[in-house]
Amino acid sequence: MTALRVPRLAAPLWVLAPALVFVPVLLLLPGLSHGGGWDLIAQFVWAAFTPSLDPLVLGSAVQGLGVTAGIALLGWAASLVLGLVLGVLSSRTAWHTLTGSAWPAAVIRRLLAIPRSIHELLWGLLLLTVLGLQPAVAIAAIALPYGALVARMTGDLLDALPTRQLEALRAAGGGPVGGLLTALGPPLMPQVISYGGYRLECALRSATLLGVFGLGGLGAELRLTLQSLNFRELWTGLWLLLAVMLVLEAVLGALRRRWAMPQRLGLNRSGVGRKGREILLAALALLPILVLVGRALEIDPAALLQPHPLPPATAMDWPAVLALPWPLLIGNTVLLTLTAAALAVGGAPLLLLLTRPWGWGRALVRLLWALGRLWPPPLTALLLLFVLQPGVLTAALALGFHNLGILGRLLLEATEAGGGPAEEALVAGGSGARLALLYARFSSVASSYLAYGAYRADVILRESVVVGLVGATGLGSQLLEALSSFAWDQIAALVLAYALLTVLGEDLSDRTRRRLLARRSPSNHSVDAVSA
Amino acid sequence: MTDPVQAPILQLESITVAGRGTPRLAAVSLTLVAGERVALIGPSGAGKSTLLAVANGLQRPDAGQVLWQGQPPARPGRGLRRRQQARIGTLWQDLRLIEELSVQQNINAARLAVWGWPRALLNLLLPIDTAQCRALLQRLDLDPVLLNQPVSSLSGGQRQRVALARLLRQDPVLLLADEPLASLDPRLADDLLGLLLAEATAPRALLLSLHRPDLLSGFDRVVGVRAGRVVFDRPPAGVDATELRELYAGTPPPS
Repeated sequence: MTALRVPRLAAPLWVLAPALVFVPVLLLLPGLSHGGGWDLIAQFVWAAFTPSLDPLVLGSAVQGLGVTAGIALLGWAASLVLGLVLGVLSSRTAWHTLTGSAWPAAVIRRLLAIPRSIHELLWGLLLLTVLGLQPAVAIAAIALPYGALVARMTGDLLDALPTRQLEALRAAGGGPVGGLLTALGPPLMPQVISYGGYRLECALRSATLLGVFGLGGLGAELRLTLQSLNFRELWTGLWLLLAVMLVLEAVLGALRRRWAMPQRLGLNRSGVGRKGREILLAALALLPILVLVGRALEIDPAALLQPHPLPPATAMDWPAVLALPWPLLIGNTVLLTLTAAALAVGGAPLLLLLTRPWGWGRALVRLLWALGRLWPPPLTALLLLFVLQPGVLTAALALGFHNLGILGRLLLEATEAGGGPAEEALVAGGSGARLALLYARFSSVASSYLAYGAYRADVILRESVVVGLVGATGLGSQLLEALSSFAWDQIAALVLAYALLTVLGEDLSDRTRRRLLARRSPSNHSVDAVSA
Repeated sequence: MTDPVQAPILQLESITVAGRGTPRLAAVSLTLVAGERVALIGPSGAGKSTLLAVANGLQRPDAGQVLWQGQPPARPGRGLRRRQQARIGTLWQDLRLIEELSVQQNINAARLAVWGWPRALLNLLLPIDTAQCRALLQRLDLDPVLLNQPVSSLSGGQRQRVALARLLRQDPVLLLADEPLASLDPRLADDLLGLLLAEATAPRALLLSLHRPDLLSGFDRVVGVRAGRVVFDRPPAGVDATELRELYAGTPPPS
């Protein structure tokens, strides 16, 4: 019996398949180029080696960086408090223990999808129009969507924990609150710390981005120096920002390893108490720092409650809103998201593969990825406009470069952790370094990497608004336009469309992720069975 | 210059590998000529795995010289080194198969040394060289239906044979095996050893480490290693019980 067999894509090819997007992108790029501007790009690159060291420039960059870091820290802290409280409130286990019924958890969880689906930049611009320019706006813009994200993660984690200990404590007469804290607090802690640390890295990136749109801090200077072509001053700020980001990532990585790693010696219980004390002390030390930072930034929480007099609202013109080219707007947004996601997901393994045999190449790729992470996508987009025409592809390149930095770092960590012995075996059998990487390591990381890629695509959809300023990119550019002309009817409709699209995308990416991870588990299971 | 055909398959000359405190290998010399099948025995931590790692180029010795068919190892990354490595096949204790790939893809992975990118990518897309893979499985008493299965779905004994099939597909001159029998039940161990001994005829040579003094009869020579040194090197008939007891003295008896 000779049935026609459909070729099944092997694991390493899944990892590389998104990189096929480079083919159409590279074919389309020459057509997008408007000819000029290459001398500007050359100046920009050259300026990287000769940043301005003028004390005035340095001083203002350091001050801007201080404001950005302060906004990030305060926004992050507020989002953690908000997220943990809302997370417990959206946990079925918690509601069940406290009140006996779990339905309010489901309602709160649904409601939280709304703040989560709106990007921090949109929150920032919306709050800015309502409250006027003040540092608290940027902090609230970070705290709201991040809080909703932390809440979702906390709720999911809480409900995934086994409840036997909790039931045992309750059966022994323990109170509901005490029971929840004792039984579910400790297992939740490492994951919350690990995720919370990661959110602080994100908060620094978000605060920089908000600055680009004039909500305070270094971002504004980066944009001004770029637009006035003062590349040497631009690089002063970028290098400082890079240094702060790399230090932050290194410190958080070290703390994660110290606090959140599972105990290696199961019997060594004393370590748990010591770690607990350290974490508590760190949290207590954070409080006065937060207060000081708040003072330094002159935050006035009360001002958040005093709306700013709005410009006279124009009459609502709903027919005009309906007449917007919705299919085109949504289509472009989706196209932008998919292109950027494919560029980032496929680009990272491709670069890793190409530079594999050369040590210096790997170092260069690492630096490129660090720059990509740190660089707010709208700045990349503005830079690309020197040589390219505005449009979906230009925006996708900018967004893809940023996410390439994030995914690349993750892929590097994953490949360093897995697939080593099999790769060594291939090299010992005479295989080249690249093919061994492709066959052994990419196989072992394929499903988890792609699962993260699916999650990232969902983030990119939300982020597509930030590159709206290069024009003609779908909902994002339309929304930025509506915001600057205070067209409230359009703003409302566009934000709603964005939220709906994001909720749909989130659902789709969740399904994809679950499918990918389910594919992985049976094989792991049989590995364990064999080695046991 | 020695003629590669006449030169010994593997020549280790006064190999020393430093360790923490005592060296892991101290001035070890060993020669394998074509057709020779050599067993490496000794207590755990004696340096058997290190010796095999030096023999397959994974571990660079701190002193002494390795010669593969009369040639010293080229620098890693060079084309010559890849051709040298392609002539050395290792059967790893943990097999080192790629779990996510199919049996056929795993067996064909042995050809990566000679294949370029097009074939390497094609192997991930389509079943290629099916005839050769099928013949190998039949030779090793495995059902060719397994070719399409992912390696992760196989039983322990099947995986062991797939690893051996990959080794044979590489068609190496020097066969190295690091305690391949350790995790197998007695019948499977006998089968596998029989297969390995049968494959290791001239121009090939086999160096295999094991923990089973009862399985030495099929080898041409037995090399006893203890604390990084070669204690004896002679045909199995000349190895007596006292010598074995002394080799393993002070360590838990081999099981």
